[in-house]
Amino acid sequence: MGVSLSKKAESARPARATINYKAWLLDRGGDILLLVIIALMLLPIIFLVVGSFKSREEFAVGSNFFPSDWRFENYNEMWTRVKFGTYFSNSLIICGITTLVVTILASMSGYALARFRFPGAGGLSMAILGTQLVPGTLFLIPLYMTFLWMKNNLGIPLIGTNFGAIVLYVGFFLPISLWIQRSFFATIPIDLEEQAMVDGATRFQAFVYIVMPLAGPGVISTAIFVFLTAWDELLFAWVLNVQTIPVGIRQFTGVAGSQNRYELLSAASVVIILPVAAMFFLLQKRFIAGLTAGAVK
Amino acid sequence: MALAPKKNKLSLWQRIRQNSLAYKFIAPTFVAMMVVHLIPIVQGLYLSLLDVRLTTLTLYLRAPFVGLKYYIEVFNAIFGLGEAGASSRVTGLINAASNTLVYTIWTNIGTLGLGLILAMLLNREFRWRGIARTLVLLPWVVPTFVTGTIFNFIWLEQGGLANKILLGLNIVDTPITWLIGPNSLYALVIATVWRGLPFTTIMFLAAIQVIPTDLYEAASLDGANGWQRFRHITLPLIKPIAGTQVLFGLINGFYGGYNIAVQMFGGGTGFAGEYADLLVPAITRQTWERHLYGFGSAASVILMGMLLVFVGIWYRAFRDSLRAE
Repeated sequence: MGVSLSKKAESARPARATINYKAWLLDRGGDILLLVIIALMLLPIIFLVVGSFKSREEFAVGSNFFPSDWRFENYNEMWTRVKFGTYFSNSLIICGITTLVVTILASMSGYALARFRFPGAGGLSMAILGTQLVPGTLFLIPLYMTFLWMKNNLGIPLIGTNFGAIVLYVGFFLPISLWIQRSFFATIPIDLEEQAMVDGATRFQAFVYIVMPLAGPGVISTAIFVFLTAWDELLFAWVLNVQTIPVGIRQFTGVAGSQNRYELLSAASVVIILPVAAMFFLLQKRFIAGLTAGAVK
Repeated sequence: MALAPKKNKLSLWQRIRQNSLAYKFIAPTFVAMMVVHLIPIVQGLYLSLLDVRLTTLTLYLRAPFVGLKYYIEVFNAIFGLGEAGASSRVTGLINAASNTLVYTIWTNIGTLGLGLILAMLLNREFRWRGIARTLVLLPWVVPTFVTGTIFNFIWLEQGGLANKILLGLNIVDTPITWLIGPNSLYALVIATVWRGLPFTTIMFLAAIQVIPTDLYEAASLDGANGWQRFRHITLPLIKPIAGTQVLFGLINGFYGGYNIAVQMFGGGTGFAGEYADLLVPAITRQTWERHLYGFGSAASVILMGMLLVFVGIWYRAFRDSLRAE
């Protein structure tokens, strides 16, 4: 917007041919540069999608960009070649429940951090930020050992189960989520709660019925953020032997005696992207508003 | 109703009582953070002083105490001191440490530089702006391990998309080897930048959009050209956002890269080779494939120490813009 306004100011000056030419080139040059960058950003995704329709031989040779014969049966074969359905449903269950639990907990504690000046708030804020500076490789080792100990001595099945992954991910994604939520609650005027409380609502009722609906975009953006991150998590799932998509997808390349099936791997990758892409584009505006609100203010 | 109680008038106990709802709201988070972060981190620090291996795994807290032995080993390996070559477990760390630094620097330059250019381009008024802003976000919805998969195909020496384009445009005569050797680190950097670009772009775009337009108008009337307006208005006002992005970039550079590298270099082990091995994959291999848990903990602590040095430099550089917020 700023650039376009300044253009107006420029064109208000006596027009000389060179200035117009330069402005035109600047404008068109920007368009062309943008087109090139966007093309380069889209190319890998297009390459993946068309690759998922190639035959095994054609993929290996890599002669054509587009498949000579569009093989839709790749999308059937990928479900049977490895237990992709199991990985997929595991990931959906783990990410769904994690997202739900983290969003509820992060809303509550994000609200508490934004609104109350309680003793210990400063220390807690520091601890939350501090967790982001600790490498996962450090606390993953003791967590694995504790989970192993609990499995062997108490019989709690935390290793190799969806339950264990959910416990881990809830704790893992809570700090950053509540940090996003906190900045969102801070933007909601406090008068609204005070008014509700004057009208006889308790603080908790004011939170549930007044603040939470207003914080909708922030809640949604946190939920999408958590789902995207959990859907993507590989290291912890692999170490804990949880059969999620990131762990299972490697089966397509050489592991399960199936040798490299790049065309099936491509088809599986397209299927993996679909749920997050659908969710993202449905809620895109709110998601971006939520993420940028905290950062810009 | 005192929503923000005055500090000096109430005792600590009264303040705690008055904020009881806050503690109830915080409690579940506090428990989760204790279980998944604080206790394991303390344990991890202690484990780095023990000789935990596969044989001592189940009673890990009673493993032999070896003190700083592993720290010295990791430290020597990273800085090329002592008999680094004598022990095969440490040889990879020198490369991994220097690769991690190069990777962090280039991914930051790439995402910040390109992200700013993209944000400026998307902020102009043009007819397909809405579509362009949506298309730019697409790599963001691609999970990072899928990013690794895609770029594995793209970098293939024979029949890979990158070489086909470079050969087709006559930029190179012979196919480039991307996934092995010195190029492999930059292949990893490019894949990381591709995946990270949408986030940085959106953040910069949001920051540029809240800059009041009359600042640019006034500068134009005073005769400032496009570059001067960018240099003296845009840059200073997006510095806080740039600061946050650099901090994210540092953390991602030091701790990230694992998912993309494992899928991109593949080959069963996911070992990227000495040229593109980063510290997190290296530590993971030592810990879980060689069962050197004490060594892995010590290496993790040293990795964190390296990050903290850079966060310290970051803090000095962006201190003013943080305070202004």
